[in-house]
Amino acid sequence: MTMDEDRQGFAAEYALGTLDSDERAQAEALLLVDPDFSAAVRQWERRLGELNVLVAPVEPQDALWEQIRARIAAAGPTEPMRLPEVVVARPVAAAPSAEIIDLTQRVRRWRSVTAVTGALAAALVAVVVARDLRPDLMPASLQPRQQVVERVVEKEVVREVASARPAQFVAVFQKDEQSPSFVMTVDIDKRTVTVRQVAAERLADKSYQLWIATQPGGAPQSLGVLGNDEFTVKATLAAYDPAVINGATFGISLEPLGGSPTDRPTGPVIHARLLQVTPSQ
Amino acid sequence: MLTPAELVWLMAAVAKGDQAAFERLYVATRAKLYGVVLRILRRSDLADEVLQETYLKIWHSAGTFDPKIASPITWMVAIARNRALDLIRKKTEASLEDEPAAMEAAGEEVNPLARREMTEELRRLLGCLGQLQEDRRRMVLLAYYSGWSREQLSAKFDAPANTIKTWLRRSLMEIRECLGS
Repeated sequence: MTMDEDRQGFAAEYALGTLDSDERAQAEALLLVDPDFSAAVRQWERRLGELNVLVAPVEPQDALWEQIRARIAAAGPTEPMRLPEVVVARPVAAAPSAEIIDLTQRVRRWRSVTAVTGALAAALVAVVVARDLRPDLMPASLQPRQQVVERVVEKEVVREVASARPAQFVAVFQKDEQSPSFVMTVDIDKRTVTVRQVAAERLADKSYQLWIATQPGGAPQSLGVLGNDEFTVKATLAAYDPAVINGATFGISLEPLGGSPTDRPTGPVIHARLLQVTPSQ
Repeated sequence: MLTPAELVWLMAAVAKGDQAAFERLYVATRAKLYGVVLRILRRSDLADEVLQETYLKIWHSAGTFDPKIASPITWMVAIARNRALDLIRKKTEASLEDEPAAMEAAGEEVNPLARREMTEELRRLLGCLGQLQEDRRRMVLLAYYSGWSREQLSAKFDAPANTIKTWLRRSLMEIRECLGS
């Protein structure tokens, strides 16, 4: 197991069940993109799962089976969960920018037929991941032609409409295929953003800074410097309209200690974009 | 309950869309899964909903089940618990204060009749849990069986949530070392 202690503990606590709602959303995003994390969670589920032998069985009411059958019939033929990997490499400008990345958005709706406490809405969170540019290892003049690789991951999220809370949005900032660096969740309601450093290198003399670009090709604005020892940070998005947040591109850049000396990112940037989550009727 | 091997066979049939196999799987596992989610949600209307969601998910993703990684019941319980936890965490954030009475329901008593069914793996796990300090063990069991959050544990054990987090993670790592796998 090569995972650091934070991620190991995070996986263990996910399986135990003690994470809060934000953290669970982050863990569920990691499960989709991080095989090590996923394997660790499965191991914990197996270790702790033995405890269920001691849970007393309780018979559910008979009507439940008919409801399940009806919902399956309504959902159509079974199909395996697909995690399409759309890999598109394309050159980008050498200067880090929070350029909007085209993405393949696939939204499938999943409908509940029998509403119990309220309709269930279903949605897809697609997570777009852009690969880190790692020019920090070499002087600017020797930087290779940079590429952004994007990946779209589908995930089905079932939400309760009764709670009247819009779905949470998740984005994963990924350094390379195997190792997400940051997972970000956005609570559109509270206009907060939470960033968890997953496997990002903690550098004593550098800071990571979070940016938002609300216009295609527009100038990014700083959402704040991420704490170097904290691994979760909340910054406010109060100044932004939910619709704008939805369509924005987010970036995390590597900056000198304390953040960018200018009002723009100066170091290498990892991008991610939240995809729209569309509840069904 | 069917044997694990029978359940694996049923899962394979379900993955191919066999509805009769799915019904047999449901009959064989529903009471266990319902017991697990009811314990966490404590409300039958919520437990009903989560159980439906769980079997829908099982139906649609049976093809991703890998018997090398987990037994069918472990896999299904994990799906059910995760659905229940996702729901209860959202609810609890909104209404933590109307929980205290229900919170007192201890999460650690076990079903004594099931002791006969105790597996070797469970014996080892309980042995390892037994090596934890009393309050740490109770925390782990309340979290697992009753779905308690750090905040709820923090109120119960009169310690800051961050301390609870440290204790939980340390306890889990001790369990892992003790199990040796």
